[in-house]
Amino acid sequence: MVKNSLDNADSLGGQALDPAAPLLEVENLHVEFRIEDGVVKAVNGLSYTLHEHETLAILGESGSGKSVSAQAVMGILDTPPGFVTAGQANFRGVDLLKVSEEVMAKQVRGQKVAMIFQDALTALNPVFTVGWQIAEMLRKHRGMSKKEAKEQAIELMERVKIPDARDRVNAYPHEFSGGMRQRAMIAMALSLDPDVLIADEPTTALDVTVQAQIMELLHDLQQETGMGLILITHDLGVVAEVCDRVVVMYAGEIMEDGDITDVYHHPAHPYTLGLMDSIPRSDKHTDRLSPIQGAPPDLLNIPSGCPFHPRCPFVRPRCSEDSPVLSDIGRDGHESGCFYWEEVERDR
Amino acid sequence: MTDDRATESSNSTAAESTPILRVEGLVKYFPITRGILFRKKIGDVKAVDGVSFDLYPGETLGLVGESGCGKTTAARTILRLEEPTDGAAYFHGQDIFSMTQRQLRDLRKEISVIFQDPYASLNPRMTVGNIISEPWNVHGTVPRKDRRKKTQELLEVVGLNPNHINRYPHQFSGGQRQRVGVARALAVNPSIIIADEPVSALDVSVQAQVVNLLEDIQDEFGIAYLFIAHDLSVVRHLCDRIAVMYLGGIVEQGDEYEVYDNTAHPYTEALLSAVPVPDPVGRQDRQRIVLQGDVPSPSNPPSGCRFRTRCWKAQDVCAESVPELVDRGQGHPVACYFPQVEFATEIPTEGRNLDPAG
Repeated sequence: MVKNSLDNADSLGGQALDPAAPLLEVENLHVEFRIEDGVVKAVNGLSYTLHEHETLAILGESGSGKSVSAQAVMGILDTPPGFVTAGQANFRGVDLLKVSEEVMAKQVRGQKVAMIFQDALTALNPVFTVGWQIAEMLRKHRGMSKKEAKEQAIELMERVKIPDARDRVNAYPHEFSGGMRQRAMIAMALSLDPDVLIADEPTTALDVTVQAQIMELLHDLQQETGMGLILITHDLGVVAEVCDRVVVMYAGEIMEDGDITDVYHHPAHPYTLGLMDSIPRSDKHTDRLSPIQGAPPDLLNIPSGCPFHPRCPFVRPRCSEDSPVLSDIGRDGHESGCFYWEEVERDR
Repeated sequence: MTDDRATESSNSTAAESTPILRVEGLVKYFPITRGILFRKKIGDVKAVDGVSFDLYPGETLGLVGESGCGKTTAARTILRLEEPTDGAAYFHGQDIFSMTQRQLRDLRKEISVIFQDPYASLNPRMTVGNIISEPWNVHGTVPRKDRRKKTQELLEVVGLNPNHINRYPHQFSGGQRQRVGVARALAVNPSIIIADEPVSALDVSVQAQVVNLLEDIQDEFGIAYLFIAHDLSVVRHLCDRIAVMYLGGIVEQGDEYEVYDNTAHPYTEALLSAVPVPDPVGRQDRQRIVLQGDVPSPSNPPSGCRFRTRCWKAQDVCAESVPELVDRGQGHPVACYFPQVEFATEIPTEGRNLDPAG
């Protein structure tokens, strides 16, 4: 019976997948790390929805909880110290946080949701050839023979535009450049046709010309396969180039989310506004920058009320007392977690 | 337009002033050796291969390029942290490469450095007060009794609380640590600061604070910056003049408007077109030149122009001889046989490979 449910492509761990449900719907996710010094509240109520063909950005600085939330969804959080304390991550209506590790390993990771990481060199095994590592996915999950899997690996390498794939299938990771390694990681992630691809800072370690190549590749592959893409990044430029919607995170909470153009042109949260004013531009002259004051909070000791209030230029007494709730501001699902978003918009 | 530009550059690059630092034909090769007992040299990594530039008092010169282009090695060689293979560097007309150890020690009072990683470049066992005042132990420029007061003044200059003089680096955030690095660089009262990727490791919201701090310090003390970075947006914002490097050589040099808005070298053009613009409007119409393949190995660079293997304009002449960095007027030298002239026609689409793998 259990075996049977594992083999069934339309269900996960006995629960039927609902093709009408959103591809991935994360609701009120809470993650904490219990360490010696106390409890680090890394994610405090994250919610988002991802549809097919859609690119969703999770934008935040270091410590905002953007990577941890993805690890929780993938079931690869280090437990302990990390624990998911509340929330759901529904893939086609099935909560991934409730299915067993066996089902996650055999049916979800790689097949339904795949992930690529920032540092492709540490993510690849140095003692096996790149081709072998891509083929491993196919041998394990698809039961292909060595020969079949290798042929398929070459095809995948060609699909991610690794030149001379037939020769390079036998190369080791150290023989690849940074950009080529990231391409190999993408080939591996796509080998089982996932419905969702989570890319965690995929281009941060790369040079800008290589970054452009990789982002273009991801975009083309998404057009081809219709997968949903979650891009986790701190780079406002990359987000603006490729994403449809954006979730702005700070101290584990959503500050603002919405359609990319609306958020960039009419930011409705002081933090987003501050980020936009902090970055110089390469395409035009920028006068003096207006940085956000202070530093990101200590996650062991998150400020009361709105976590951004100690750095906020719009702060009022209420901000340290009440926690603002993310509310729809009436423009194509654009939501803000600021009491005074109207004032922020007027300021722009 | 032209007037704007003139005022923009005149405050920094006054043509009549003499350069504070002049670098001529700088070359740095690292030998590749084989064998353990008998080390045999089998080649060279040509990290820097003929770099020349001038730095004027009080200006910011940006050295920009991708990883491995030699920008950091060039700076380290100028400071004599690496021994040069060839070329010359003059500080106020004095030849740096023939200086004795004693003269070098004096030089390092004039040229100080800020490093990229504020976590790695501060000794975790020293208080910030000791870190900042350490240069005075070496140079003896500030008498012992004044050091505490002077250190606190420096902390205040870089926007830190002077009462935190006895704290350790781990008690500060990344941005604050980089401020400590800036204070240490200022301690010797330098006339040049070489800043090697000083803001790349910082978060966006904190990066702008340090950028503004660097600007304020320059205004206050008139220090010249050699600013090394790969982030083209930060470089545009901060620098009066920019030199673009590729595979050990400068390909193009000029002020912000010349290099960014009136780009002449195909590599700079490709590099700039790859920078993501933080504005989603019009993104589908943006022209992007995606370069083929990777940067060639500096141990075996292509003949002639080093960019020719990835260049859509390359012709036979590019493989035969190295294009010199020539100024065609306007103070905008370009090392290319087919530079984009002002208001030039569209780049031909054939031969321009939009497919990264070719």
